[in-house]
Amino acid sequence: MIRGLSRIVPNVVVGVCLAIGFLIVQPATAEEKPKAAAPEETAASSSVSAPLVKGTLPADDPTAAVWSSAPSATFPMSPQVHWPTRNLEATVKDMIVRGLHDGTNVAILLEYADPTEDPDDAAAIQFMVGDKKAHFAHGQPMAQVEGGPVNIWYWKNKDAKGVDMNAKGFGTLKIQTHQDVKAKGVYSNGRWKVVFTRPLDTGHPEEDTQITTAGFINIGFAAWDGKKDPSSGELKEKGSQKAVSSWWYFRAEAPPDYTGYYYAAIAVGLALGFQFVLIRKLKKGQSA
Amino acid sequence: MGPLIKLILLNVITYLILKFVVPNIPGSAPLPASLVFLYLLLTTSGYLIIATVSAESKEEFWGPIQRFLVGDGIGGLQALRWAVLILFPLLVGWQTYNSTAVSDAPPGENRTIHPAPPGEYAGLSNPVPKTPDTIQQGKGFYAAFCSPCHGGNFDGKGSAARGFNPPPANFSDPTTIAMLQESYLFWRIKKGGVGLPIEGMPWKSAMPRWELELPDEWIWKIIMGEYDGAHQSPRTWE
Repeated sequence: MIRGLSRIVPNVVVGVCLAIGFLIVQPATAEEKPKAAAPEETAASSSVSAPLVKGTLPADDPTAAVWSSAPSATFPMSPQVHWPTRNLEATVKDMIVRGLHDGTNVAILLEYADPTEDPDDAAAIQFMVGDKKAHFAHGQPMAQVEGGPVNIWYWKNKDAKGVDMNAKGFGTLKIQTHQDVKAKGVYSNGRWKVVFTRPLDTGHPEEDTQITTAGFINIGFAAWDGKKDPSSGELKEKGSQKAVSSWWYFRAEAPPDYTGYYYAAIAVGLALGFQFVLIRKLKKGQSA
Repeated sequence: MGPLIKLILLNVITYLILKFVVPNIPGSAPLPASLVFLYLLLTTSGYLIIATVSAESKEEFWGPIQRFLVGDGIGGLQALRWAVLILFPLLVGWQTYNSTAVSDAPPGENRTIHPAPPGEYAGLSNPVPKTPDTIQQGKGFYAAFCSPCHGGNFDGKGSAARGFNPPPANFSDPTTIAMLQESYLFWRIKKGGVGLPIEGMPWKSAMPRWELELPDEWIWKIIMGEYDGAHQSPRTWE
C-alpha cells in the first residue's frame, strides 16, 4: 500500500501540473490573434462606449446624475496645425467624453477645463458620414483616397443651441437644411459641460452619421476658447484656430447579451457529464 | 522514474529548446506560441503512443491516473482529487465564456508607416548644396514650421503634438528618417498627411501640405537641417 502510494503521488502531482500547463499555454496562443491596435498615447482612451439607459435621456442636462453611469473616455487635444490659419497653442488640453442612448436618441457629453466663461466659447463633435473615410481636419480632400464629408455638431455659448453641419475641406462648412442636433452647455468651477443630443437614425444618411448598435464609428472633437485679448479685442481662438482631437471611436452599446454565460453553463455541464461517465467506466473496469 | 514525470521532463526540455535554443540558431527567429504549442502536442502524443505500446507500459502510465480519478487508495490526495474534479469543469466553462464573449475593443488598424511614394519622387536628389550656411537656414525653417509638432530636439515631442494619433515622427529614432531617402522626406513634407496612399491612413495624419505654403528650396533645406539636427544620415543606395 505504502509502496503503491509512493509511486502514485509523484505521478499524480506531475499529471495535474501537466493539465494546468496546457491550460496556460492555450490562452498564450489565443493572445496571438490580431488585437485592436494599441493606442499610441498609452494613457488615453481610444473609444467612447455609450450604454443603453432605461428611462429618459439627460438630453438637456449636462449635470444629471445618470451621467455617472456612463464610462468616461479622455482624449488629448492639440492646436489645429494642419491648415492655415493655424494656432500653435490651445486652451483645451483634454476632452472628457461620455455617451448614453435610449434606443432612439443618443446623448454625448463633452467636459473640459476652460479658465474663463466667454460668450464665444464653443465646442463641436465630428463624425465621418457613411462608408467613405474623411480626413479629421474638416474632411480635407486627400490626394490618393476619395474622401467623404464630415458631419459636425456645433455648440456656441452665446447661441445656446446645437447646429448640424457638413464640411468637405476647410472653407466648405455648410449648415444643413434639416437640423437634428440639440445642445446645451453649463459652466461651473472652470469647466464646461456640453451635452449634444440627436436621434440615432435621422433618415438623412448622405449628410448625417447614422448611429446603430452594430459597431464602432469614427468620432473627433474640437473646442474654442472664446476669450478676448484685452488690448486688441481679438478672440483668442476662432474659426480654424481651435483645439482638435484625432479620430477616435464611438459605439452605442447593444442591449446586454447573456449568450456567453449560457454557452459557458452548457460547457460546464458537458465537462461534468464527461467526468461522471469516465469515472463510472473506470470504476466498473476496476471491479471487473 | 514514473512515466508521467518522463513526459513532463520531455515537454519541459522541448519547450526550453524551442524557446531559447532555436531562436539563437543563425538565420532562425523566435517561434510563435501557437507553433510551440503544436510541437509540445506532438511530443506528448508521440510519448503516449510509446507509453501505451505494451500492456505493462500502458498500466504503468494510466494506472496511477486511473487510481487518482477513481479515488482508490490515494489517501491524503482526496482533497486534491475533488479540487481537480471541480476545477476542470469550471476551467472549461471559463474558456468557453472567453471565446464567445463579444469584444469591447475597437476595430484593429494596420497602418503602413512608410508607404511607397508616387513614382515621380523616386531617386530625386537634394539640389541644394550642403554647406554650413544652408544647413543652418534649414534648421531655422525647421524651428519655425516643424518644431511645434516634431519638437525642438527633433524627438517628436513638440508642444502641439499631444493630441495627434499617429504622433508626429521622432527623427532621432533610427527607424524614421535614417531609413529613408531625402526624396521620401521631400514627398512627405510637400504633400503632407493628405498625400498618403490608403494604406497610410491619410485621414488620420495632421501633417500639413507644405507645398501650398513653402517653396521647394526651403523644403530641401529643412530636410538637411532635420538630418543634421537629429544626427542621422539619409539612406542611400550604395
